[in-house]
Amino acid sequence: MSRLQVNLLGVSMKNPVIAASGTFGFGEEYRAFFDPGLLGGISSKGLTLHGSKGNGGVRVWETPAGMLNSIGLENPGVAHFIERELPLMRRIPSALLCNMGGHSLEDYEQGAAMLDKADIDILELNISCPNVKAGGMAFGMEPATAADVVRRVRALCHHPLLVKLSPNAPDLIAVARAVEEAGADGLSLTNTFLGMAIDVDRRRAVFDNVYAGLSGPAILPLALRMVHQVCKAVTIPVVGLGGIATWRDALCFLMAGATAVQMGTAGFADPLAMPRAIEGLEKYCEEQGLQNILEIRGIV
Amino acid sequence: MAVVLENKRVAPDVYLMRLTDTPAKPGQFYMLRPLPGSLEPLLGRPISVFDCEGCESSFLYRVVGKGTELLSQRRASDSVDAVGPLGNGFPLEDRDLTVVGGGIGIAPLYYLLKAHRARFPGRKRSAYLGFSGDSFLTEEFSALCDVSKVNIGGFVTDDVDFSVPALYCACGPTPMLRAAKKRAEAAGAALLLSLEARMACGVGACLGCSCATISGNRRVCKDGPVFPAEEVLL
Repeated sequence: MSRLQVNLLGVSMKNPVIAASGTFGFGEEYRAFFDPGLLGGISSKGLTLHGSKGNGGVRVWETPAGMLNSIGLENPGVAHFIERELPLMRRIPSALLCNMGGHSLEDYEQGAAMLDKADIDILELNISCPNVKAGGMAFGMEPATAADVVRRVRALCHHPLLVKLSPNAPDLIAVARAVEEAGADGLSLTNTFLGMAIDVDRRRAVFDNVYAGLSGPAILPLALRMVHQVCKAVTIPVVGLGGIATWRDALCFLMAGATAVQMGTAGFADPLAMPRAIEGLEKYCEEQGLQNILEIRGIV
Repeated sequence: MAVVLENKRVAPDVYLMRLTDTPAKPGQFYMLRPLPGSLEPLLGRPISVFDCEGCESSFLYRVVGKGTELLSQRRASDSVDAVGPLGNGFPLEDRDLTVVGGGIGIAPLYYLLKAHRARFPGRKRSAYLGFSGDSFLTEEFSALCDVSKVNIGGFVTDDVDFSVPALYCACGPTPMLRAAKKRAEAAGAALLLSLEARMACGVGACLGCSCATISGNRRVCKDGPVFPAEEVLL
């Protein structure tokens, strides 16, 4: 058994590094730089039932050691994914995480039912989407609404269920516990932090939606603290993400209790960030005499 | 990683930087990061290839923010991160070629003209360059062209007769592209537009640079930056 091999929700992965949703397309975009099959897993671009054209106006904005995005979940929809993207993505020998969100409970249910029959390894549920029918507050903000969507999806989908938490929830620990209780097999956190940018020359908000999601190295300490707290509060596995750019960053999340990590924004800056992190983790295991990387899991 | 061979100022706030290890086709670009491996600034800046000889490209850019400011401070023998070549680039077609450039948008058109001249020496080449203030590198363009015209402060698209048979290629500010598209459509001319957009990855993954086209959203970085004018909704 390889030193980096990990088991996530019953799925064997060759290493604990997963490409984060929305930063790696459906697995093909970085092929010119490295073989995506080197990754432990790939989380698909976030899907919604009917797809979306995404947001207008400025969509990305660099910030100190990070970036804000307001892509608006541009995606081709669940049916298109199953028919067109999935067969290609399946050819990549990495764990296949399908990331799905929704703007109503019915959307989640219908999407989950469609994906139940699809050949995916893990369903990663994005509960950071605004609930259009309840004033636009995201499902993941409150324990009750988060648990409701997880319970409904759980009932319709037999795939291992990884629920991606929003760091913007006023009581993240309560949401994490409620989601575990509702039947999630694992949690991934964090999604982006709600932020803002103002164009002072034009005296207006940069983004049409005013607020946007912050990612990149700037959020690492915040995300790490949350992963550490959540790992202590739940018994299901946690996938840590938020600003990871190097193998050392990845180790922080594993030491904080995560079973695997996801990387995203760092790959925008350096397309080889993920393969470099995997190599670094491998070397670390060798140097430290670890039989498996997860021997250091949760030691902090 | 690429090494700076030269980084010279060609106009106020406009620089031409030549790098090693940057092969490219006309119309392609690189994501350039001034400080290799640094997390700040984090992202590369999409910069057009102005010219390319073998594996050395020169990049024309205007200093507009933190990233390009740092880029302008890099000196010969310094290293920069250069991810590319990216994008589809311009096709080389066996017919006359007319380029229309506005400001820093002249950047991808020089190499196009040069490659066109090398491939089709018997064809006619024309360049219409517009600037709101200081012009730059206009002599380099005129050396490659049968006709070259510089417009300062006006509308460069007013100078172009789109009824003359040729392939038209334009790059510049959106209002200029919009005017070029309108005139080309009226004249039934074939026009290609090289679009500019904010982007995080440059490789088609982040969807930060999506643009609206008649066939839905396309990615400026990966599906473009060069699009037939009739396809894009400006």
